[in-house]
Amino acid sequence: MRATRRAPGTLPWFASVPALVVAALFTIGPLVVVVAFSFMTRPPTGGGVVFRFTTDAYRSFLFTKDFTGQLRFNPTYLQVFATSAMQATVTTVVCLLLAFPLALWIATRSPRAQGLLVLAVTIPFWTNLLVRTYSWMLVLNENGLINRVSRAMGLGSHELLYTPLASQLGLIYTFLPFMVLPLYSSLSGFDFRLAEAAYDLGAHKLTVLRRVILPLARPGIVSGILLVFMPALGSYVQPVLLGGGKVLLIGNLVAAQFGDSRNWPFGAALSVIILAVLVAGLLVVRWWARRTGTTVSISL
Amino acid sequence: MNRPPRALDPRAFPGVASAAVFALVFLYLPIAVTTVYAFNGGEQALVWEGFSTRWFGYVLTNTAILDTAVTSLQVAAVSTAVSTVLAVAFALAADAMRRRGSALASGLLAAPLVIPEIVLAVATLAFIRMIGLTPGFTALVLAHTTFCIPFALMPVRSRLQALDGHVFEVAADLGATTWPMLRRVTLPLLTPGIVSGALLAFVISMDDFIISSFLSAAGSTTLPVYLFGLIRRGPSPSINVVAVLLLVLAVLVSTVTYLAPRRKRTSR
Repeated sequence: MRATRRAPGTLPWFASVPALVVAALFTIGPLVVVVAFSFMTRPPTGGGVVFRFTTDAYRSFLFTKDFTGQLRFNPTYLQVFATSAMQATVTTVVCLLLAFPLALWIATRSPRAQGLLVLAVTIPFWTNLLVRTYSWMLVLNENGLINRVSRAMGLGSHELLYTPLASQLGLIYTFLPFMVLPLYSSLSGFDFRLAEAAYDLGAHKLTVLRRVILPLARPGIVSGILLVFMPALGSYVQPVLLGGGKVLLIGNLVAAQFGDSRNWPFGAALSVIILAVLVAGLLVVRWWARRTGTTVSISL
Repeated sequence: MNRPPRALDPRAFPGVASAAVFALVFLYLPIAVTTVYAFNGGEQALVWEGFSTRWFGYVLTNTAILDTAVTSLQVAAVSTAVSTVLAVAFALAADAMRRRGSALASGLLAAPLVIPEIVLAVATLAFIRMIGLTPGFTALVLAHTTFCIPFALMPVRSRLQALDGHVFEVAADLGATTWPMLRRVTLPLLTPGIVSGALLAFVISMDDFIISSFLSAAGSTTLPVYLFGLIRRGPSPSINVVAVLLLVLAVLVSTVTYLAPRRKRTSR
């Protein structure tokens, strides 16, 4: 008789401890520290914090002190948040519009072709973020592909690089695979002859789309939205490299507080606000998933 | 070639195929442009002066680039090894702790996937300072190991789920105890998943920029951190080459992870 009732081939529970300790230390630990730092005082010079409790960091998100010492409402940072939310929303919507036909098309190919097409989507997914972003610098450059074609057609040159549009395009490009993969995995097991049957039985194609395919894709759509929107909200690389400093997103604002601006408490407070927004979003999604009976998993 | 049995009648959704092709072109056009220009012989990134591999020679002998590449490889090697071992141990033990909150544990491990990277980056920097470390190699390895674990774990878990549990029961009935079972049965069967997981962890570590940029110090600059500095100065032929080398890494890893489970399935 074996001492434990463990399933054969598995390890005792304590084998999971090292992974959990590492994750707890370097995921939960930093989050706890960042919450703590957001309530601390900025030192007179340099980075870091002084251990004295204050809510100044949060107050300065919405208010500035004018020269008389009065607090005045200052929407600057709120606007940065709004711009970021807007860019993340546009990214999510455009990715969904591009990814849905691609995922549907892949899911209706032969099994062999499906494998190869998924590989084709995975390669850009695993390609270095900087490489993908840099590639758009080459495309949008004044001597880049688009401007060359435009000049050849007699339409002249356009300033494309270092614009908000370039930053937006970079975000869409970066996150497209994050939308395609979960959409595909929710569509891939489906027997599309059923959709065809509905069509043959006289259902309008939009009805087939709305009543058969969309409900099927719903879990994939939700995880795709989460996987695109959440990282896009905190994006940092694309606004710098493609937006050329003309776009300030919340991610850049956070980075600046820990870099040039040397205001760690404010940077920490901004991080906490981002996390709070995301947790609120996740709770809404969970509530919705429970109500509609949709399974939502944040994985590819 | 026989017609795929599941192909949807194209009349039903006429725009789908063209929209799909458009999305694929969108995905590949920019990286194709970069690849072409990496073989440009000219002094400027975007002025074509004939095919040449001279910039590959330049990059592969440039000590600044090579040094940062070596740092990246070292960080990635250590983080991959540690995160893969931790992930395999976790995957094999998670079964036994199902009632002890395996879902919570998995959520904890997956957290780096959902937290915006910039937030995790500044939080880790603050934490590293808090525990008395300074940015550098150790800090990089610790952070990389943490965010590599979920990637190392995913293929191992799906491989484990796909395996026929009877194999283990038979081995146990034949007298295999924990260690021989692990060494002779479990690990060999899990190998494709472990290899895929390790490769994903490796590429994730090699590619990381945001977290690394906050944890790098002079002497421990990783390749992406150095590359970002170069890119900020604008396109150049050597960046094109580095980009293509990193692209090759992505193609290799994607292809191997795509082929690994297949080969095993057909040989069984």
